[in-house]
Amino acid sequence: MLWVDQYRPKTLKDLHYHEGLSQRLKSLAASGDFPHMLFYGPSGAGKKTRIACTLRELFGPGVEKLKIDQRVFLTPSRKKLDVNIVQSNYHIELTPSEVGNYDRVVIQEILKEIAQTQQVDLNAKQRFKVVIINEADSLSRDAQAALRRTMEKYMSNMRIILCANSTSRLIAPIKSRCLLIRVAAPNHKEMKTVLEYVAQSARAGKIPDEAAEDIVRDSNGNMRKAILVFEALKMQTPDLSGPLSIAKPDWETYCHKVGDMILQEQTPQRVMDVRAKLYELLSHCIPPTIIIKTVAERVVQGVDESLKADIMHWAAIYENRMRIGSKKIYHLEAWVVKVMSLYKHFFYDMDMSGFEDGF
Amino acid sequence: MEVDSEELPPKKAPAKGKATTTAKASAPKPKPKPKPKEEEVDEDQDKSKVKAKFKCVFTTSWAAAKAAKLAGPSAPGSKAVPQPASPDCLAGLAFVFTGELSSFSRDEAIELAKRFGGRVVGQPSSKTSYVVLGDNAGPAKLAAIKKHNLTTLTEDAFLELIATRVVAEKDLDEKTKKKREKEQKAIRDSAKEMEQREKAAAKASGPSAASGHKSADPTTQLWTDRYAPQALKEICGNKGQVEKLQTWLASWPVSLKSGFKKPGKDGSGIFRAVMITGPPGIGKTTSAHLCAKLAGFTPIELNASDARSKKLVENSTNIYNTSLDGWMGGAETINAAGIKITDKSVLIMDEVDGMSAGDRGGVGALSALIRKTKVPIICIANDRSAPKMKPLIQNTFNLPFRKPDAAAIRSRIMTIAFKEKMKIPANVVDELINGVNSDIRQVLNMLSTWKLSSSTMDFDEGKTLAKMNEKYSVMTPFNIIQKIMGPYLFSATARETLNEKMELYFHDYSFVPLFVQENYLKTNPARVRGLDGPPQLLKQLELMDQAASSISDGDLVDALIHGSEQHWTLMPTHAVLSTIRPASFLYGTGSGYGGPNAMSFPQWLGQNSKQNKLNRALGDVQIRMRLKVSGDKAEIRQSYIPSLFPHIVEPLIDVGSGAVEDVIERMDEYYISREDWDAVVELGLGDHKDEVVLKKIATATKTALTKKYNASEHPVPFHKAQDLGKIPKKLAGGPAPDLEEAFEAEDEGMEDADDDKKSVDPDDIKNDKLVRQGGGKKASAKSTAKGKASTSKASTSKASTSKASTSKAKK
Repeated sequence: MLWVDQYRPKTLKDLHYHEGLSQRLKSLAASGDFPHMLFYGPSGAGKKTRIACTLRELFGPGVEKLKIDQRVFLTPSRKKLDVNIVQSNYHIELTPSEVGNYDRVVIQEILKEIAQTQQVDLNAKQRFKVVIINEADSLSRDAQAALRRTMEKYMSNMRIILCANSTSRLIAPIKSRCLLIRVAAPNHKEMKTVLEYVAQSARAGKIPDEAAEDIVRDSNGNMRKAILVFEALKMQTPDLSGPLSIAKPDWETYCHKVGDMILQEQTPQRVMDVRAKLYELLSHCIPPTIIIKTVAERVVQGVDESLKADIMHWAAIYENRMRIGSKKIYHLEAWVVKVMSLYKHFFYDMDMSGFEDGF
Repeated sequence: MEVDSEELPPKKAPAKGKATTTAKASAPKPKPKPKPKEEEVDEDQDKSKVKAKFKCVFTTSWAAAKAAKLAGPSAPGSKAVPQPASPDCLAGLAFVFTGELSSFSRDEAIELAKRFGGRVVGQPSSKTSYVVLGDNAGPAKLAAIKKHNLTTLTEDAFLELIATRVVAEKDLDEKTKKKREKEQKAIRDSAKEMEQREKAAAKASGPSAASGHKSADPTTQLWTDRYAPQALKEICGNKGQVEKLQTWLASWPVSLKSGFKKPGKDGSGIFRAVMITGPPGIGKTTSAHLCAKLAGFTPIELNASDARSKKLVENSTNIYNTSLDGWMGGAETINAAGIKITDKSVLIMDEVDGMSAGDRGGVGALSALIRKTKVPIICIANDRSAPKMKPLIQNTFNLPFRKPDAAAIRSRIMTIAFKEKMKIPANVVDELINGVNSDIRQVLNMLSTWKLSSSTMDFDEGKTLAKMNEKYSVMTPFNIIQKIMGPYLFSATARETLNEKMELYFHDYSFVPLFVQENYLKTNPARVRGLDGPPQLLKQLELMDQAASSISDGDLVDALIHGSEQHWTLMPTHAVLSTIRPASFLYGTGSGYGGPNAMSFPQWLGQNSKQNKLNRALGDVQIRMRLKVSGDKAEIRQSYIPSLFPHIVEPLIDVGSGAVEDVIERMDEYYISREDWDAVVELGLGDHKDEVVLKKIATATKTALTKKYNASEHPVPFHKAQDLGKIPKKLAGGPAPDLEEAFEAEDEGMEDADDDKKSVDPDDIKNDKLVRQGGGKKASAKSTAKGKASTSKASTSKASTSKASTSKAKK
């Protein structure tokens, strides 16, 4: 198994960073008055790990016995939906955003079903079950509204733990019903500690300081990525000495290629070539937000200082539009054309007043 | 939203010319400054007073001078149409227009030429009299001009030609004159013939009318009935198809005798039925009836007004041609459906695509009927490609009728007009015909209505009338995109209003925006014309930027329309943002069909479904890995798949078959199945792209992986409900097994049978008995599949299947 999964902390006291948070979770679990919770923070910060640890604190090792169920739902329009549910005896975990617009149906059906049954196991430590809702920030408005009342009504039988990357897309009533717990990305020092722990556990010898520094910088606060990169590096150069070249994931290299294409040539034909590449990225399940971010970062590296702010500004605007709109490629392409135009104008030192107004 | 400041030139109301005619006819007043784009009114000679209306301020030379000054920016509507020297001053001339004129749009210029009797052709040839040359003429046309040494005219020269040319009879060349005379004579002749026929009909029906049998007075009939073709030569267009129909009908009795084995000259001899398809109003039904009558058949027509359910179709059609009704009961016998039966009849099933819910099983019954019919059947439909027509397509001979062009209909209409004593010039008739998409029936209806108020019609009246009766035809997205992105819709001389442009979007509002997005970069934008080098490139990029951001705006609106709130009232906004506005920036000459920049079908659809497919695959991978991994789908794709790649794919490339075990072990750790392995590879990009990767893995390694994986046991995180339902289905003898599989089973069976005899276990026997019944079924399935399985073989295979199923049961 990959190290990142092998050496994942199992209990709250094993966690390496955010001591205060672990402490608070521990006392919450002990108090018997466990609230609804909303874990949020960037990916790779350790949200799910903390949730799992908290559950273990609540119910004991029994929560680690997981099984996966596939449930079939019927939408009002008689369409069949398959939803995968991960559950133990004490908790249940679902990702309603899997089914897109029908997430409301899943929320209503499953939550009510669980909420209306009491804990049968008399030996259980707690009287309630826990429902974990993943990707809560991509829940539709309807689904969030469906959640509101259920959270209050069935409080005696059920606690909800929401897991999200940011709280900005959650409606206020949900936020006010939860205890908000921010799991921030670890800082460089904390990440190094974890890397050392992993190296030690895996009997991989000591990790050189430079290598650790490189890995930490490259992974940008994503602990998961750091450990995966560490293991990959270890496979490449077992002693981790000398200049290290951190292999970029396939999609990142591809995005960089797109960025370079934009700067090489600014013609309609090139836009269409870039469009083909963007389609390729999108169809291979790279989220559009990641695409625009990675490409923009690459483009910014290659342009004059005075253009950087503009390019990022437009990237932000089109990223926002992408979220509101439905066809992502339109906005990505609009941004590409915008960047090309900006760049070319800058290149010929032309009047750029036409770009001042707008959004 | 600002679309385009230049795109709405002073609009001319189509009816305006006529209005001013009547208003000013009595009191002609000189106009100090003629309104730009004053509508030219009338060329009819007997309206001479109208001529006074135009105070022709422009002398032609002055107009030319002014045009010279105006060179540069286009000046839409800056020139007036001069007073023609004679109403058909351009008669006998053939024009080709190329490039963009400065004052008139292409359509207007063509209309002008037609109005004054000229002919307009698309491509210059040696027969072309003049080429009217505008800016940015197509290179192909310029080459043709050079080749044929043609005279070219500027816009002003063209106007001058209208103003000055007088066509004296002697000026017309011999040919044209003769042709004209011939046409006139033909019209008179056929009109006379029509009259005689009517008289004869009236005489014939005279006595019978007295006896109460009614035959309508021709003057009270609709024109469409009254002037329905009575002879084959009167059918307009589709001559070839009508002939085919005739040959088919004529050879029907012979074909019937030969059992429909001889295909005949055109291959129609093997069909018991024909299907005529084509748009409405082009004479399908008429041709069918006429051909039937001429071939000596009695047509029995069933159309949408008759109930045509399965039962009625079967009972009422006399397909065996065995009816004695006619012989027994005299000439007037009719059958259940109210249809007269004779011994030699042809069944005309009109409006077959109108067989609908009420006619349950009608199409099916009809196709069954065709298979065994003893009388010819002619089916008529509008749309051959409709799914409803499927059962009929195979066993009918296809006769597609096309819309005849104006020239094919013109003389017929002129004849009828002449007979009705209407005075309508040929170019007006053409206008009417083109206006309604060559629907002859509609032209006749329009004329008969017009006759009630007036017996003459001029060009403008014709145009208005055609406009009023305009037939709506839905364009295909390809044609729409050519039109939208093409050089004329947004040019300075274009006359389309914003609404008319938006109409194009509404032809197919789900596809047109996709087409625009796919193709908006493929034009040579008209707006960068005249620029060169960097400024051109910069301008083009600017336009592209505006277009792309407009498309982005459009998508936001689209999300409101198709989102949870369904704001359908925003459709017009979407039309403008997604289609009109981007096109208004980047319109220009594209390369049309073919060529490197041809307008293409939107990729979005394919890419979107691919994305959905891979997304599902990724979801499957994620849920399997979920027990070990906390990440969501995006994390799996972005972090885990690249990290797993060196563990589960690269060893197969580098090491080969030897690495298979390690790879499978890795896969099992994360519950990744063989299918998920495929998904992981398929999700790769760039150097990890599936094509690249799969090429590097030796086929032997791949098969080793598959075999090894299937041979061993693997941890399963969960059972899908569907998987459980599949096994019993197989036992119940689903699809016939592959031959290969069957052979294998038999080979095993031989040995197994021996084994069974040696070691007899009471448990086994019991088991065998139970399973054998199931196995027997499978064996029978096999034997039918193979066709000649002997009984001994069947029994051995039975044994083998029983063995297989016991082992399955033990598992």
